[in-house]
Amino acid sequence: MGGHLLRRLLAAFVTALLSSLAVFLLVRAVPGDIVAQMLGQAGGDPATEQALRGFFGLDRPVWQQYLAWLGQVLQGDLGTSWTQGLPVAGIVGQAFAVTLELGLLTLIVATAIGVPMGLVAGIHEGRLLDNVIQGINILGLAAPVFWIGLMLLIGASALIGWSPPFMYSSPGQDLWQNLQILLLPILSLGLLQAVAYSQFVRQSVVSALQQDYVRTAIAKGLPQRKVFFKHILRNILIPLVTFMGLILVQILGGVVVIESLFALPGLGRLLLTSIQNRDLPVVQGGLLLVVGVALSLNILIDMLYQYLDPRMRR
Amino acid sequence: MTRKIDRRTFGKGTAGLLLGGTFLGGARSVRAQYAAPAEGGMRGGKLTVGSIVEPPALDPFHQGADARIQVTVLMYQGLMFEDASGTAKPLLAESHELSEDGLTYTFRLRRNAVFHGGRPMTAADVKYSYDYVRNPENGSPGAGDYATIEEITVLDDHTVQMRLSEPNAALLMTLTNKYGGVVPEGYFDDQAARARMNQQSVGTGPYMLAQFQPNSFLTLKRNPDYWNESSGLLDEITFVYLPNAASMLVALRSGRVDMAVLSRPQDAAQLEDAANLEIRRFPSFNQKSIDLDLAYEPLAPLEVRQAIALAVDKTKLMQAAIGGFGTVIGTMPAGMQEGWGAPVDELPNQGPDLARAKELMAKAGHGGGLELTLTTIIGYDWMDPAAVTLAEQLKPIGIDLQINKVDLGVWINNFRSRKMGFTFNDWGSQPDPSLLFYRHFHKQPEGADFRNWNDGPGSELLDKGRQESDPAKRRAIYVDFQKRLAEQVPTIMMFSSDHVVVSSRKVKNYRHHPTGWYFGLADAWVEQA
Amino acid sequence: MSAALPADLRGGRGERTFGLLRELRRRPEMVLALVIVGFLLFTALFPGALTDLSPTDVDVAGALQPPSAAHWFGTDDVGRDVFARVIYGTRVTLSIVAGSLAISAVLGGLAGLVAGYFGRWPDMVAARGVDVILSFPPIILGVVITGVLGTGITNLVMALAIVYLPLFFRIARAGAIAEAGRTYVEAARSLGVPEWQILVRHVLRNVLPLILVQYMILFPLALQIEAALGFLGLGIQPPTPDWGAILEQSKNYLLFAPWMSVFPGLFIVLAASGVILLGRSVQRIVDAA
Repeated sequence: MGGHLLRRLLAAFVTALLSSLAVFLLVRAVPGDIVAQMLGQAGGDPATEQALRGFFGLDRPVWQQYLAWLGQVLQGDLGTSWTQGLPVAGIVGQAFAVTLELGLLTLIVATAIGVPMGLVAGIHEGRLLDNVIQGINILGLAAPVFWIGLMLLIGASALIGWSPPFMYSSPGQDLWQNLQILLLPILSLGLLQAVAYSQFVRQSVVSALQQDYVRTAIAKGLPQRKVFFKHILRNILIPLVTFMGLILVQILGGVVVIESLFALPGLGRLLLTSIQNRDLPVVQGGLLLVVGVALSLNILIDMLYQYLDPRMRR
Repeated sequence: MTRKIDRRTFGKGTAGLLLGGTFLGGARSVRAQYAAPAEGGMRGGKLTVGSIVEPPALDPFHQGADARIQVTVLMYQGLMFEDASGTAKPLLAESHELSEDGLTYTFRLRRNAVFHGGRPMTAADVKYSYDYVRNPENGSPGAGDYATIEEITVLDDHTVQMRLSEPNAALLMTLTNKYGGVVPEGYFDDQAARARMNQQSVGTGPYMLAQFQPNSFLTLKRNPDYWNESSGLLDEITFVYLPNAASMLVALRSGRVDMAVLSRPQDAAQLEDAANLEIRRFPSFNQKSIDLDLAYEPLAPLEVRQAIALAVDKTKLMQAAIGGFGTVIGTMPAGMQEGWGAPVDELPNQGPDLARAKELMAKAGHGGGLELTLTTIIGYDWMDPAAVTLAEQLKPIGIDLQINKVDLGVWINNFRSRKMGFTFNDWGSQPDPSLLFYRHFHKQPEGADFRNWNDGPGSELLDKGRQESDPAKRRAIYVDFQKRLAEQVPTIMMFSSDHVVVSSRKVKNYRHHPTGWYFGLADAWVEQA
Repeated sequence: MSAALPADLRGGRGERTFGLLRELRRRPEMVLALVIVGFLLFTALFPGALTDLSPTDVDVAGALQPPSAAHWFGTDDVGRDVFARVIYGTRVTLSIVAGSLAISAVLGGLAGLVAGYFGRWPDMVAARGVDVILSFPPIILGVVITGVLGTGITNLVMALAIVYLPLFFRIARAGAIAEAGRTYVEAARSLGVPEWQILVRHVLRNVLPLILVQYMILFPLALQIEAALGFLGLGIQPPTPDWGAILEQSKNYLLFAPWMSVFPGLFIVLAASGVILLGRSVQRIVDAA
């Protein structure tokens, strides 16, 4: 298992390295750099442009820029933002905290809604309740998350005259305000993920019900509740935990539009505005974090799975 | 008036509001900073301003974005101020003199100006700041504006002299607040100083930076040492950055923001029924225009450009783009028309005149039709409806208009590399015709000539206009230039959109400046319960 | 789609029709799926049959009208009929999604097939490349790619194709690896059948249904990403109607003219759920076969 983990880590490292190179090249291929944006329609003679390019190191060949950046990163320094002048690590970290809070709360909401839905559907497989839940699932999977967000905004405002506050405050500053701001984003993201959960749990329950030992237990006349808790729930717990990780990865990747829609200063919005502002160090640092988090979560899920599942432990 | 009403508002537990508001005793006699005297103005209180555009950074020397200028004018100040009337008035300078030959300006400085943090401003700081901004090596977008300055000398602690290489009637207007501002001598010696401007302001303005949280908010606090005691009345101003126009309307209605300048003036119609809000319109120096790049092949023939100008119905375009909240213009932004504009009925190629336009198209050999691509910018809400309307207007003269929406960064890049093609533009300047026209329309290398116009006669007029100091003669020169511009059509100025300010009724004495910058906040105050 | 027909549907012509009917009666969800997808296909092919109004005709005076008998879905900010825009947008949106997924299915599928069947270094290289693409959130990747390429239909299709290529690659690769180990491949090889023939005749045939199912699973996701990119203003160019673009345009009128955002969204939901249902039915048939 140690060897396997090492191999996974190595592969993840190579992927991260390649991803960083891809990002580096891609963002530099986007036409128009930060210098053009700073000068705008004000003109600025070639000397001015030259001076600014030099200031940002944009006058060096791309491979030199990359190696310099990589060297910094390997020493734990993500560089400095070109617009804000602050260390990228801090900016990105702050934004990630917002996204992570959103992600974790969404996960809780999604679990709380999705798991019971899936259990109910699975136990009633093929019957009316199952069909209704399946219908909800399909609609949930079909609706774009940002559109649900739009509908919630319209609905909240039209029906109860409520709209979320716009100035973000962290849970430490003002928890109540923080939760009000996050409410609609959590609901819009949570619905999709709840539905994904429900699907997954339903499937697990259905296949658990088909297992021989469960059938035997039922045939033996064990009380339903006991069969449920002893055999079915236990059986789906392991895949459920690992599925949670996958959902978290998905949420973190899927918040871009939601954060923009609800003015949340999270990682997705940061990446979007930094791409627009051509603040390349922030784009590079932010994406490196996203990639790193996704890769390490995947490894973690893998390890967890092996640890939890006795068959995999050998 | 000597009554002193102490209206302390305790309670509510709002942090930072302990002092409450006090009426300004006898404020009537003192001239407020930029707007009308803050009569009966109340000190204290907080104001929340909503905005959709957010400054990428707060460095007034290197960052050219309009969203930056809007807010930094409250923190940084130049020697002069761009008065709404279209003339430059003294700000950090107390007075100025011009030598007989028109080449030497002498500025006497305000003696009580103090930098944020407490150090008094002296002539050495002024020299340093303007020397820094005008040196192209330092990378300021404003450097070109100051090109006619040859030397700046300190005469004494409170007197500065600027010597020019040639007369420049626009100089005073360039010494205003768009780029740069006066900062402590040697400020940029430290490499990290530029970046620090996002955490700490170092200007002389009525407000100083408290906190800038990109993608979220910007908070300014009152500068306690501000040199004009009757200005800068609010304790705190917070700009909140909202994601879109719809959420702005919600925020205004619900009182989550106290004031906003609408990014889409026509949205005012959606707020008319809100009793707690006041909606006011202010004229502007901005212009929404169609730019025509002469190096873009289909636009090279003069007839095609003239035909387009004649086919355009500016009134309908404005209606589609911003509703009725603006002014159709000829060759001068609405706020400057009175002072500098050529009478619109004297300008050639003002449509719509489809018959003549068709004739011109046929003459150019495009009787059978012509395909054109119009570039618009993502995030500029007025451009989408205007683009589809323009496409309809150009159809009858045989032009098939494709629309190409691009990211702002891409657009600026094309614009600056003089490959703009056929595009919408949205820009403004300080209220001086030379600052408005010179860089955009003078041929290279003196001007940037973004549209590849390369026009001899036009450039000559621009040179003459810049050197002429007599206002009446100067005006005549620019009228001639505008006629040339309208005849040659490197640009079609469509309309200026009004600044529509929506504010809660407790906001008092706010006047929006025609540049769109928040000068007015220096004199605004809020009624406190 | 005939490749996916299950074994029990084969037989004589009359028998087949009868079997198909019986099959459909047994699967009501498949009927629903076919109705929805059929309706959307019809809309995409013959938008003019559903509305007389033009999706692009501007009428500033009649802007922002609520739904009425004349304008079922109301009008937008320049007075265009939202129903006409949604109806005409069906073709645009669906063909962008279908086209880009088809490109990634062909390219990703082929690459995966080759990588999985032959293994070794081409597999290593391709797998790393795919890992790199997969490590980015799809929308950010779309934003960056459209940033590099510029906006417009072609570039949008390219961006979506790149985003979804890895998933087809993985499916095809896994399928090819599984097939390569089967005895019939060994047998064919020992009979001297050339490798490429084995690949095309046997492996591809068995991997194809997997790709088809994957296509249907990804379709709703790609549709949502397309709409999201459109919502961010990075989609197709105006005045071409597109569901995501209509939503983008609607965001300024969210509360004032909610019809502009409700209806295009409902069509997205309709299209996506139709394909999800169809995908499930097909999946069941494939599983059963």
